[in-house]
Amino acid sequence: MMDPSMKKKPSGQPVRMAGIRRSTLKRIPTLAAGYIMLLLLALFMMGPFLWLLSVSLMPGTNVFAFPPAIFPTFIKFDNYVEVWSFIDFPKFIGNTLIITGLGLVLNIVLSLSTAYPLAKMRFKGRSLVFTILVSTMIIPSSTALVVHYLTISWFNLLDTFVGIVLPSAVSVFNIFLMRQTFMGIPDDIRDSGKVDGASEFRIWWQLMVPMVRPGIAVIALLEFMSYWNSFLWPIVVLNDPAKYPLASALTYLNGQFSYNFGWIAAGTILSVLPIIIVFLFTQRYYMEGISGAVKG
Amino acid sequence: MRRRTLASDALPAWSFMAPGLLVIAVFVLFPIVYSIPLALTNYSVLGETKYVGLDNFTRAFKDDSFVTSLKNSVLYIIVVPVLQLFSILMAILVNSRIPGIQAFRTAYYIPVVTSMVAVALMWNWLLSQNGVVNYILIELGLTNEKIGWLTSSATALYVLMFITLWKGLGYYMMLYLAGLQSIPSDLYEAAIVDGASWTQRVRHITVPLLRPYIFFCTLISLMGAIRVFDEMFVLTNGGPGTATLTSSLYIYQQGITQLNYGYASALGLIVSVIIGAFSIIVFRFNRRGGVNPY
Repeated sequence: MMDPSMKKKPSGQPVRMAGIRRSTLKRIPTLAAGYIMLLLLALFMMGPFLWLLSVSLMPGTNVFAFPPAIFPTFIKFDNYVEVWSFIDFPKFIGNTLIITGLGLVLNIVLSLSTAYPLAKMRFKGRSLVFTILVSTMIIPSSTALVVHYLTISWFNLLDTFVGIVLPSAVSVFNIFLMRQTFMGIPDDIRDSGKVDGASEFRIWWQLMVPMVRPGIAVIALLEFMSYWNSFLWPIVVLNDPAKYPLASALTYLNGQFSYNFGWIAAGTILSVLPIIIVFLFTQRYYMEGISGAVKG
Repeated sequence: MRRRTLASDALPAWSFMAPGLLVIAVFVLFPIVYSIPLALTNYSVLGETKYVGLDNFTRAFKDDSFVTSLKNSVLYIIVVPVLQLFSILMAILVNSRIPGIQAFRTAYYIPVVTSMVAVALMWNWLLSQNGVVNYILIELGLTNEKIGWLTSSATALYVLMFITLWKGLGYYMMLYLAGLQSIPSDLYEAAIVDGASWTQRVRHITVPLLRPYIFFCTLISLMGAIRVFDEMFVLTNGGPGTATLTSSLYIYQQGITQLNYGYASALGLIVSVIIGAFSIIVFRFNRRGGVNPY
């Protein structure tokens, strides 16, 4: 369909570069308007966090005083030191990491394997499986909570990390997302693998999976945040608060020290920081995956 | 020819899907199936469990709290079109290569990765009577009085919708961005060569090729809106009164707090039927919308 020579960088690049240089002057107002919109949006999305940060850095601030303190007038790390010694943060972060890691691996592998045939293979019952999967998306999670609790207790998995992860080891949402990604890959690739005599597993693992890296990155990203932030189900499953992940521990902190705004603000910032740092890393991978897929 | 392909793919297909479908069967299908017999009983922690027929369903529609919660859940759908429109616009805005764009994308995504506990805590303070939001509105001259955004039944549900929107924008923006970047840049380059304007490019390239993403995102945000739970669970617990009581929260209160498993299952089934009806509408809408490019 496409002339292979058009894909080559050297022939395409210089033309586009020249076009941009010529129109740079014309683009300045558009660019300025773009940056203003980007900045206003950034203030809207980040403002609350910056304010929380400033509350956490000013020990003794009353968030219910009027007019409220918006910008920090002084900076002290007392809240962080006090909260870190009161709550065993490294342990809760460790718990969260185990739960999140287990959930990520299961979700990526299972959605890759389940979505692949739905997108690329022709077999009897494919549309039936698809219809059943679609129809399962309509059930309110709050009814499932009761049955999940019963099921996990039948499996003797109460008070374990596996018990937290298993009900969400693969989601219909991830299968759909992965199916969409697989569908974007030309059928020729699978056919050429077959012609070369590769097994179905090798075609999947060595040809198809590397091509859906953007989809894997998206699932990794979404599952990471969902496991990191889950607080309700861990509280239901775990009897031992020492096994709590960070978000569950934070609700505990909020209930215990609701009068100490600085502590809660500092604890919240501490719980949010690791996920932001890992998000930055994942996002870079995610963008690389996309550009890699476009280039490849 | 076609028949042979059908037969040869069946074994590998089912082998690939088996582990995933097993998990789905136990943790997604079983709860649905099991909730039907459960809904026909009075199963709870108190008393003897027996078959009560459709009593739970007749009770549900006489239950004022449940009817109110249904209304609130359906009203919550308002958030869906607003969320999709703004996240597509944001995706288009951040789908450029200008310096620093990566930082902006990250900034917009941070509310998504933050736990609802943290978000709730922040906005609870910001939206209090003496909070920053009232302060800014008064300074800008938009209002004279301090509004108790989450404590007034007139505003509470809409304020929660706003929080849903604020927290969800980055998520859908990222999905749409992935969609935008899957569109070959050759198409745009060809259109530019042909003299197409920005609006024409959006209308004739972006929107048609983004269609499967729009369908997908609308569907999941619609289901999320009707099933909304975390926002009211953490922030208002359904209050003031029943102003922010949604069906998921009411089912949780009946099933987990009060341990009326039978009644909660019946409520869950009613809500499922309603969500099913809305999803069918979205599917029809998508089919009528023309050819799916994927």
